[in-house]
Amino acid sequence: MLRLLHTADWQIGKLFGQFEPDQAALLADARYKAVERLATLASEQALDLVLVAGDVFDAQGVADRTIHRLFNALAAFSGRWVMLPGNHDAALSESVWTRAARLHAIPGKVTLCLTPEPLLLEELGVAILPAPLTQRNTFSDLSEWFASAETPPEMLRIGLAHGSVQGILAEAIDSANPIAAGRAEQAGLDYLALGDWHGTRQVDARTWYSGTPESDRFRANQSGQALLVELAGRQALPAVTPLNIGRHCWRSDALTLQVPSDVEQALQHIAKFSTDDVVQLSLSGQTDLAGHRRLRNAIGQAEGRVHSLLADLSALRLEPTADDIDALQADGYLGEVVDELRTQQEGSNAEVARDALTLLAGILDERRRDAGRAANAEASVGARAGTAADPGAGTRAGGPAGIIAGGAL
Amino acid sequence: MKLSRIRIEQFRQFRQALEIRDLDAGINLFTGANEAGKSTIVAALRAAFFERHRSGSVDDFRPWGDSSASPSVELDFTLGHQDYRLTKSFLGKKRCELQAGSQHLDGADAEDHLADLLGFRYAGRGASAAEHWGIPGLLWIPQGGAQEVREAVAHATDHLRSALNESLGEVASSGGDEVMATVEAARNELLTPATGAVRGIYAVAIRHEAALASELDALTTAIASYRQKVDRLSSLRREHAIDEDEKPWLHFRKEHQAAIDKLAAIQRIEETQAAEKQRATQIDGQIKLLREQLASFAARKQEAETRATALEKARQEQSSNAALVVQCLEKRVEASVRYEAVREILRLARQEDTRRSLARELDEIRQKAASAAIALAKAEAEQTTLLERQRLAAAAEIRPADLESLRQQHRQIRELHIHRAAAATRLRFTLDDERRMVIGDESLSGSGERLLLAATEITLPGFGKLEIAPGGSDLTQLGRQESELSDRQAALLQRLGLTSLDDAEARQQIYSERLGEVKTATATLKALAPKGGDALRSELASQQARGGDVEAKLRQLPPAVDGSSSAAALPSVGEAEAAEEGAGKSLTQISEQLHQAQLAAANAQTNCESAARELAAARALLDAPDRAAREATASRDLVDALAERSTLTARIAALQQQVGEARPDILKQDVERFGKSAEQHEKRFGERRDTLLRLEVELQAAGAQGLEERSAKLARDLAQAQRRGEELRRRASALDHLLQLLRDKRRALTRKLQAPLQKHLNRYLQLLFAQASLEIDENLSPGPLTRVGAKGSESGAFEALSFGAREQMGVISRLAYADLLQEAGRPTLIILDDALVHSDDERLAQMKRVLFDAATRHQILLFTCHPANWRDLGVGARSLETLRAAC
Repeated sequence: MLRLLHTADWQIGKLFGQFEPDQAALLADARYKAVERLATLASEQALDLVLVAGDVFDAQGVADRTIHRLFNALAAFSGRWVMLPGNHDAALSESVWTRAARLHAIPGKVTLCLTPEPLLLEELGVAILPAPLTQRNTFSDLSEWFASAETPPEMLRIGLAHGSVQGILAEAIDSANPIAAGRAEQAGLDYLALGDWHGTRQVDARTWYSGTPESDRFRANQSGQALLVELAGRQALPAVTPLNIGRHCWRSDALTLQVPSDVEQALQHIAKFSTDDVVQLSLSGQTDLAGHRRLRNAIGQAEGRVHSLLADLSALRLEPTADDIDALQADGYLGEVVDELRTQQEGSNAEVARDALTLLAGILDERRRDAGRAANAEASVGARAGTAADPGAGTRAGGPAGIIAGGAL
Repeated sequence: MKLSRIRIEQFRQFRQALEIRDLDAGINLFTGANEAGKSTIVAALRAAFFERHRSGSVDDFRPWGDSSASPSVELDFTLGHQDYRLTKSFLGKKRCELQAGSQHLDGADAEDHLADLLGFRYAGRGASAAEHWGIPGLLWIPQGGAQEVREAVAHATDHLRSALNESLGEVASSGGDEVMATVEAARNELLTPATGAVRGIYAVAIRHEAALASELDALTTAIASYRQKVDRLSSLRREHAIDEDEKPWLHFRKEHQAAIDKLAAIQRIEETQAAEKQRATQIDGQIKLLREQLASFAARKQEAETRATALEKARQEQSSNAALVVQCLEKRVEASVRYEAVREILRLARQEDTRRSLARELDEIRQKAASAAIALAKAEAEQTTLLERQRLAAAAEIRPADLESLRQQHRQIRELHIHRAAAATRLRFTLDDERRMVIGDESLSGSGERLLLAATEITLPGFGKLEIAPGGSDLTQLGRQESELSDRQAALLQRLGLTSLDDAEARQQIYSERLGEVKTATATLKALAPKGGDALRSELASQQARGGDVEAKLRQLPPAVDGSSSAAALPSVGEAEAAEEGAGKSLTQISEQLHQAQLAAANAQTNCESAARELAAARALLDAPDRAAREATASRDLVDALAERSTLTARIAALQQQVGEARPDILKQDVERFGKSAEQHEKRFGERRDTLLRLEVELQAAGAQGLEERSAKLARDLAQAQRRGEELRRRASALDHLLQLLRDKRRALTRKLQAPLQKHLNRYLQLLFAQASLEIDENLSPGPLTRVGAKGSESGAFEALSFGAREQMGVISRLAYADLLQEAGRPTLIILDDALVHSDDERLAQMKRVLFDAATRHQILLFTCHPANWRDLGVGARSLETLRAAC
């Protein structure tokens, strides 16, 4: 029984420019943490072998420090690590691998598969057939040679490749680094460990994408896992168990607000975001000023809570109600401006109009609150409170009127 | 508001009370000269309203010099349908009462009520100022202040606004302007107010973004170059591996060696050929030497014969030369004899010639000596004569000065004498016969005449004596002078050894004659001995000496040839010399000939001897014992050499053909080509190895920079900067848009709000300028005036109008404000203090129409010092002078 851990697409050195620097730094850091967890897991489970199916590094030109840090992250597991270059870290004449070797960063327990030739791990009874990328992109199937590779009959045959299995991914038809479907069977492999696809995915009985152990994008489903593969012997089907490794949950949520109660639902949705979530939230539809304000508040609070939150409100239209406008005390020509901006939201200049309306609403809201405080202060003095306050203000503004009344008492 | 009565007392000009009753509801025209009190009435009205009755800063209300006065004003007016009476007095009696119908207000209450009614404020402290005056400040136009409308409007803006708002019946905006200011401030943080260019943090963000983008570009380029190098490294390594396997240069090296070998073979053949050629050259030399040897043998024989002939010839020459020498010797002897003879003759001739010339010379000397002796004797005689004459002359010498003195004295004496004679007493007498008389010592008879110069005693015998004393006193003086002079003359004459002047004259004559003689003698002596006697004597001596010399020479000469015949036979020296020269020449010539002949003879002798020796030598060679054998050997050797030469020529031609067929030049090219090919391959291999090393090093260095990670970081920063830039852009454009919109809406609203004011304004403006329009700005002040002129519509700012026009516009706009205020139920009273004085007649006429029209709605108090200007206003003027008189 051979027990191995199949992982890939570590993308060490990846940076997350779409986030604020501190968040991006944490996300980059999380990738080392995931590798450390893999090592710990392998050690705890006393696994025989860890296969890394390409894209260990995000780029060839990473810093020396990054290289050292990655190999140091393997410390917890002292067993055999087999690594395959992927399209991000292809085994070029001069590559991150040659640099790593030059830096003496690669520990002895790590075997790099830089050439397409069988790697015989006698002590484990495993023959590994690697398909390393030696160019950044290739349009021929590098696993072609697996079938013709002869290995000792008693040894398990495990393929290790990085690329797109043909035919299963619609968008991968013309993509680089193709891998023929059915390669495992055709080449008599006991297991084919694949990398490149960031979500965990089973291709056939013996072929799996492990996915990246730490999610790095919103669209990949089933990412943040590694695969525990157990092989009983030659010809036996592998037992594959996905294990959760990743810390961050990347989610991309799109909410559409149509009716007033949708705001409440959206607020509840936002409230459910958890600490390790990396969220992309886009809101569309329409809301009144109060709804907009509540949503913005909720997003502001969530930003302080979740790991990262990218909120896009650009498609959310502001529809101030008559009450809103009354509440803002947008009388006289200010009222006309508000009306005009509301209308312009429909036109070609919708974004500017919406921004302007938001700004104006903000300014007016601020003023109103200042006025409320001022009125409050005056009311507590007790002089001319009745005449100073706009008689309509209390009923129109609702909430704030209560505050004034409270202050008066 | 309608004023009906004004009463002023103890107020500036008006110490006495002035009361104006029955004011008209329309225009009230007050006329008066300067200082008549027009402005005081206006001041009193202002004081009644604007100043607190308790104010301490109104001292100037008092009439001059009246410190105890209590300036007071009493006004009756109607406001709405209410009658009011305001009584206010200041300083002495501080009092304010306002009776409004049945309501009575006192003090500050009355004043505050009044301020509310009319729309003004009181000064917090001190005198009231323009900013407190509100509506009255706007409508009460002070003297010369009609054109200054802006400030007055500013102080009444609130009232005007509220009037406008009330007329519009709605609120403009309760805080729009503040919101706009907030928006504008926020916008101007990001965009410049004027051009909308980016600024502040927005500009910083954009610059930051651009900087990051360009840095990222640079890095991207570096990465591309890095990748390209990596690819190059791959391909070079591949090529390098192939070359290392195949080693293509080895093949070329082999070809190279083969070509070298072939070329060496051909070069050996060429060397053989060269050796053969050299041999052939040697044989050619040998042949030449042998032929020369044979020729020399033939030449020896020939030479011996030639030598024999030459000897014969030399011998002949020798004998003929010897003969010639003998002849020459004989001739030379003859010539010598002849030459000696001629020389003797020449000697004699010369000797004779010398003798003759010496004799001639001696004669001449002797003659010269004789004549010198004669001249000397004459000269000595003449010298003696001269000396004698000089002595004589010296003896007769009289100095011209002395002579002159004598002459002078003589003349003076004579003159004195004449004087005395003239002065003397003339005594003429005629004595009888025989009778005598003695005058002095003189006894006289007969008749005569005497001059008595001194007291003279005349003895008349018989009769006694007469003493006659001449009359003149100077007679004695003259006599003294005369005797004095006579003494001096006598002394002079004595010194000169003369007796009289005549002697002196004679002596002078003698002296000059003797001087002449001396001159003659001197000249004669000079002629005889021009250089003096000594010269003559030395010449004589020298002639005598030379004579001695010549005589001695003559004596030394050999005695003359005896016999005049032989002497005569001697030729002249010239002839003798010519003969001698000719003889000499011929002797020299003959000697020369002899010399030549002797040389030729010697030469011939030598030639002859050498010819004999040469002949002997030639004969000796010819007669050498091995000569024949050597000649035969040489002939045989020549035949052998010629045969070998012919063989060699054939062999050389054969070798030449062999070399020509092998083409050594092409072979050399092959060697070069293969050598270079191999080198090229090796070189390329080496270079590639170096390039690989360099690339590896470069890539290692570049790789260590972590370019892609840096690029990713930059991309991250850029994305962030772009987000920020985008946020700021959105904020800026939103603010800009919002600000624009606010302004537009506000402007639209303002226009709508100002419409009533505009309406009133236009009503008056049309009366002044047809089709003109005056804009009203934000602050409700008059803005640009647009008129239709000859060149179409033209617009100008209010401030740019002429003073007169501004004044008119000022009045017009105030009337419009009054209309507006009246519509809003505010009190309006218009006071014009000497307004419109800068208007021309035409404009003034129009303005009167305007005022008349306004007066149908408002009460107007118009004060002027130009009553004539306002006669056609349709109201009676009240003269202040009359008003004062009435009180």
